[in-house]
Amino acid sequence: MSIQWALVFFTLFVCLGVGTTVIVAATEWWGKAASTRMPGAIVALVALAAGGVSSILHLGHPERIFGALGQAGSGIFLEMLLIGLTGIGLIAYIVMLSRKSADGGRKIEITITAIPAIILAFAVGASYVMASRPAWDTFLVPLLYAASAAVMGCFTVGLLAARSEDAAVAKSFGLTTLVALVVQALLLVAYLIYLGSAQYADETASVSRLVSGDLAALFWIGLVIVGIVGPAALAWMLRGKKEGGISPLTATGLGLVCVVVGGVVFRALMYSIGSGVAEFFGPL
Amino acid sequence: MKNCLVIDLDRCSGCHSCEVACKFENAVGLGTFWNRVMTVGPTGTFPDIEMYWLPVQCQQCADAPCVNVCPTGASYRDETTNIVLINKEKCIGCKYCMMACPYGVRSYNETEKVVEKCTLCTQLISAGAKPACVAACCTGARLYGDLDDAGSDVAKAIAAAGADNVHSLPDVGNSPSTRYILHAKTATWKEV
Repeated sequence: MSIQWALVFFTLFVCLGVGTTVIVAATEWWGKAASTRMPGAIVALVALAAGGVSSILHLGHPERIFGALGQAGSGIFLEMLLIGLTGIGLIAYIVMLSRKSADGGRKIEITITAIPAIILAFAVGASYVMASRPAWDTFLVPLLYAASAAVMGCFTVGLLAARSEDAAVAKSFGLTTLVALVVQALLLVAYLIYLGSAQYADETASVSRLVSGDLAALFWIGLVIVGIVGPAALAWMLRGKKEGGISPLTATGLGLVCVVVGGVVFRALMYSIGSGVAEFFGPL
Repeated sequence: MKNCLVIDLDRCSGCHSCEVACKFENAVGLGTFWNRVMTVGPTGTFPDIEMYWLPVQCQQCADAPCVNVCPTGASYRDETTNIVLINKEKCIGCKYCMMACPYGVRSYNETEKVVEKCTLCTQLISAGAKPACVAACCTGARLYGDLDDAGSDVAKAIAAAGADNVHSLPDVGNSPSTRYILHAKTATWKEV
């Protein structure tokens, strides 16, 4: 299957927005990193908007998109609804921050906003789960998209904390980020195990194609090294208690770039191995 | 009601007449298909070699994933005929239905920016005629009718062939309706 770039960036931006929203909500409960909340909420809102624009670019007839509002059972309707709810929640949160609302109310508001955001992270992945595409037909796909959202959110808010020169707070994101990356790595291993036994998965959707075939360079360098191992090393260095070493700004900035690149590569690989049970009229 | 095609692969000569008739009747664009004749084989070792032709098009799934995923209802099941169709005026060209089709038998019309597929020539069958591919088949390999009607040509052909010689494309929960008749004397059915 050819890479649908508009959809690659749709899920990338949406996951970035979702991850950032949830981590911003977490800072409210944590009671620290207050300086990251306003820029974090703005980044999340812009990312969701960019995701929405990317998805529109994929359509042959974007002017008919409102027809989707009449099909409440479709995955696209659910995604539109969740993006809308999260976006509205973020706007309300930004207004509350700018008006310096009470902590309790603000905390409740962003927590409620995080609920559709978390569902959205799974929903964008769940849209790909279909019996027609053996490589996608597993619950691990939505989990991988949620993990992608988590690592991008951690690094984004970590970077915002590092920018505010609160080095200790920025460093405290190291462990959370590391845990998210380890979970992502474990999910990737589980996914490869699934792929190895997926019914109707031919050589175009095989583990060997990823690890030693024409996609191997992209898989090992783009996804494993740049997308997971590199950011994990940066997160490990970030959490270090010793003085000196890598600066939080460098670690989080470089880490964010890495996980975004890894996120693009992961999504491109998903499309590359997303062949159908049969493709009689040729690959999509 | 289960209106669909039954294709007798014992009879199919691989002449591609059905493909051409489909394109001509439905103005299917160059390089795209609503119906395509695939060659399966040759397999085996000389002199025990076998080959057959497999015409493929929308399989009129009972639980059509294309209908289930369509965000605008453009892919739908016609209430009168039970045939899965596309309302092009509702199609947003998201290609989600193309991803959901297990067989890759939908096409994207680059000019109109919509998805298309076999309609079983609704414009002809509503007037009492046969689909163009059925009418054009020079070996009588293609039959159209209601599988649930025991008196229909398709049901009779299925009954006459015997269950062991009636095949369908892989079912991944979509329950394809189209049936293929292939006896072992012609070739062994190959799963895709």
